[in-house]
Amino acid sequence: MEESKEPVATECREKMTVVVAVDESEGSLYALSWALDNLFPAAVGGAPNKPQPLGRLVLVHAQQPLQHLIMHPVGPAAYATSSVIDSVKKAQDQNSRDVVERAKGICRRRLVEAEAVIVIGDPKETICQAAEQMQTDLLVVGSRGLSKIRRAILGSVSDYCAHHANCPVLIVKPPKGGH
Amino acid sequence: MAAEAEDAAAASVVGKSVMVVGIDDSEHSFYALQWTLLHFFSPAAGSSSPFKLVVVSAKPTPTSVIGLAGPGAADVLPFVESDLRKISLRVIEKAKEMCTSHSVADVEFEVVEGDARNVLCEAVEKHHAEILVVGSHGYGAIKRAVLGSVSDYCAHHAHCTVMIVKKPKPKH
Repeated sequence: MEESKEPVATECREKMTVVVAVDESEGSLYALSWALDNLFPAAVGGAPNKPQPLGRLVLVHAQQPLQHLIMHPVGPAAYATSSVIDSVKKAQDQNSRDVVERAKGICRRRLVEAEAVIVIGDPKETICQAAEQMQTDLLVVGSRGLSKIRRAILGSVSDYCAHHANCPVLIVKPPKGGH
Repeated sequence: MAAEAEDAAAASVVGKSVMVVGIDDSEHSFYALQWTLLHFFSPAAGSSSPFKLVVVSAKPTPTSVIGLAGPGAADVLPFVESDLRKISLRVIEKAKEMCTSHSVADVEFEVVEGDARNVLCEAVEKHHAEILVVGSHGYGAIKRAVLGSVSDYCAHHAHCTVMIVKKPKPKH
């Protein structure tokens, strides 16, 4: 049982790279707000002469790959789908941009700088991969508060991340009514 | 978004938010405590940490450890009891040392007897914690199903945000 003594940082709190997974759901935006309030405090209306970045905030949005949504009809209808594919992709891209803008807006309101990354693929895996690539210190995900059976059927990104991410995972639950 | 404004206001008025860290005898949980102290409670110039730390150690009940009562169970009980007490004291001592080495003074330590899962969720309720921090053994799916996972249980049942800190797997 060895205890590695980390050298005490002479500057303030060690800079953390915090990755927040965002999508259209209210849960993830609440998670973002929670993370901003608790992990990047003292940025609100604080002393403007102390521009200490408390860490690096990265917003990650996973865009579902197209195969998910398009059911390829077999046969001659295949030609028709190429324009459908295009318009669906455009709609998806626009959707992702909206989500990211909304999230960035929340950060801006709290005077926190955020980077945004859009990844394409299955949310569970791509979020964990992205977190790994960015050498995240903390991955923040929202949680829909699904029951056990629903989790098994619908799948849970927060569950997957909790098990498979290489870094610490923060799961933010939606606020219970009457908090 | 009025709820957030309310929350933020409430937090600043009431004081610090509470962070509960669950620890036991394992290295993983001490790693979690260490990580938390490092990232949330470093000696920050000027501003103190926004969290009040409560360290909770769950002491398993002797009966749960012994399992099925056999003919000799009654005799073994006192020994198991004192062993468990020693272990939990040692755990708390180590946690105290860690906190002082990171110069964190505003800490509460608790030892509660019972199953870790329930103990931690109840501690969250009791202290109205904002966040619960647990370590993770990093079990695979099968081990989790068989041995059970405190971090899993807490992630689903605690009424607050849950942070699961894992020891990074040595990949390189």
